[in-house]
Amino acid sequence: MSEENWIEVGSTDSIEEEDLIRFDHQDKTFCVYRLTDGFYATDGICTHEAVHLEDGLVMDDEIECPMHQGIFNIKSGEALSPPACEDLKTYPVKVDNDKIFIKID
Amino acid sequence: MKNNIIILGGGQAGIYAAREIRQNDTEANIKILGEENLLPYERPPLSKDFLLNKKNEDDLYFHSSDVLKNENIDFENISISKVDFENKKLFSKNEDIYTYDSLLISTGSDNKRLSLDNNLNDDVYYLRNLEEAKTIKEKVSDKNKITIIGGGFIGLEIASSLSQLQKKVTVIEIGNQLMGRIIPKQIADLIQKTHLENGNKIILNKQIDKITKKNGINDILLSDNSLIQTDFIIAGIGSTPSVKLFENTNLKLDNGIVTNQFCETSIKDVYAAGDVCNFYHPFYERNMRLESYQHAQNHGICAGKNIAGVKTEYNSIPWMWSDQFNLNLQLTGICDDYDEIIERGNDINNGVIYFFLKNKKIRGACGVGIMGKVGRDIRITSKLTEKNTIVDKQILSDQNQKLNKLIQKQ
Ligand SMILES: Cc1cc2nc3c(=O)[nH]c(=O)nc-3n(C[C@H](O)[C@H](O)[C@H](O)COP(=O)(O)OP(=O)(O)OC[C@H]3O[C@@H](n4cnc5c(N)ncnc54)[C@H](O)[C@@H]3O)c2cc1C
Ligand code: FES
Repeated sequence: MSEENWIEVGSTDSIEEEDLIRFDHQDKTFCVYRLTDGFYATDGICTHEAVHLEDGLVMDDEIECPMHQGIFNIKSGEALSPPACEDLKTYPVKVDNDKIFIKID
Repeated sequence: MKNNIIILGGGQAGIYAAREIRQNDTEANIKILGEENLLPYERPPLSKDFLLNKKNEDDLYFHSSDVLKNENIDFENISISKVDFENKKLFSKNEDIYTYDSLLISTGSDNKRLSLDNNLNDDVYYLRNLEEAKTIKEKVSDKNKITIIGGGFIGLEIASSLSQLQKKVTVIEIGNQLMGRIIPKQIADLIQKTHLENGNKIILNKQIDKITKKNGINDILLSDNSLIQTDFIIAGIGSTPSVKLFENTNLKLDNGIVTNQFCETSIKDVYAAGDVCNFYHPFYERNMRLESYQHAQNHGICAGKNIAGVKTEYNSIPWMWSDQFNLNLQLTGICDDYDEIIERGNDINNGVIYFFLKNKKIRGACGVGIMGKVGRDIRITSKLTEKNTIVDKQILSDQNQKLNKLIQKQ
């Protein structure tokens, strides 16, 4: 695991609890979430159609797509409710000095 | 003795019911009878991504045959043509007999047909199933001018897709606005504007007087004597519940099969779910019939629970969507019973929502925005509706204030 892959997203207080922010890096979009037990990251685009999950609703450990209410588990990326059926990619997150980093492969 | 459960109609409500029954009853024999020779599949893409070649047939199935096999759910491709509720039997045309202990009816809905007084019926196309979607896709490929009769959801979605395939599309609507049955005029007008901007022609307030055909071109004569010449006609003029089979039985029908909040019909051991039902909604304290993806799924699951003996009330707040061009329209609750309307936003890029309130509580909302922009607010609205929250109108109307504040405030 090389250190270079950890990309800084922003400060921990940029995300409210039970909420998310969108993070764009190079040509990819990610969503970074603050849940009650920590920070998580997934791909930023729904696996059903090309829709940004940043406009979705975070409920407990789940993100609901704003377009057709497909639901994914934020921690595992598992697609939980149709029309979403393909899992969402997840990424490791760490917090260092109140800054959030995600590891992009 | 194992319970023999038959599900008549292999669509969305049917498959969700079947899997829910299996979750609660590992023993029962579960058999789905479907007249389409296809495993249950999603219909929403038929008018959108399937026409646009962004999705193909294999992308539409809810589950593979392996899932059904693993869960021991039997699917048989057969059309049922007679029922005998008294003796708990169903009959196919060839007089194959199916006996049940419990029956779920999930036969969906049928498209209304235009009544044309000449033999042009074969020249007007309709869209309800995959077969029809394939036919339309193939037939329009070498056509240019397409006319859609009916400015409802399905007609407009087809109009949007065909426009994106570079066709010249005209939509003829009998009413004075698009989607007039359920969508507020303000929202309908925003969607109409997008159709116009994309080159579609929209004709409102006009009836079809006559259709004639000469050298492959259709002449559509309208009530004001204007004439539209078109290469291909598709009608989307609404649907009716698929209840023909039950018309001469003692199953209670009234704009669909009448069910209570437990998906029970007027006949013991006979349940119904999905588009075909006029069901009692305890929250709204009235009966309603819905044609929506979310309803078909949740109603099917609820019926499945009740059939398996887990008594469950259906109280889901209605929700549906329609995608046209890059717009996503969403509707939650009911928008026809209110004493106040509140508007949130005025720019389609950020989303525009109309809330319908009664006694300071939200009964329903309808919104439209670019690609999912209204989704979160509409979802929160469903929750506020369900919880009967007395809402702060100032927060509702101010797009800079998050709606989840209203949930937390309780
Ligand atoms: C083109 C199109 C686009 C749509 N888009 C959207 C959308 O964007 N958003 C949304 O929320 N909803 C949408 N819907 C609505 C949604 O797909 C339906 O509400 C849902 O499919 C209803 O499910 P159901 O199980 O009740 O009926 P269906 O899925 O229609 O299934 C009923 C099945 O029963 C079978 N059947 C009927 N009679 C018999 C018989 N006698 N014997 C054997 N089988 C029989 C039928 O052939 C059919 O396969 C759309 C529908 C269509 C047609
Ligand atoms: S785009 Fe996300 S569920 Fe359809």
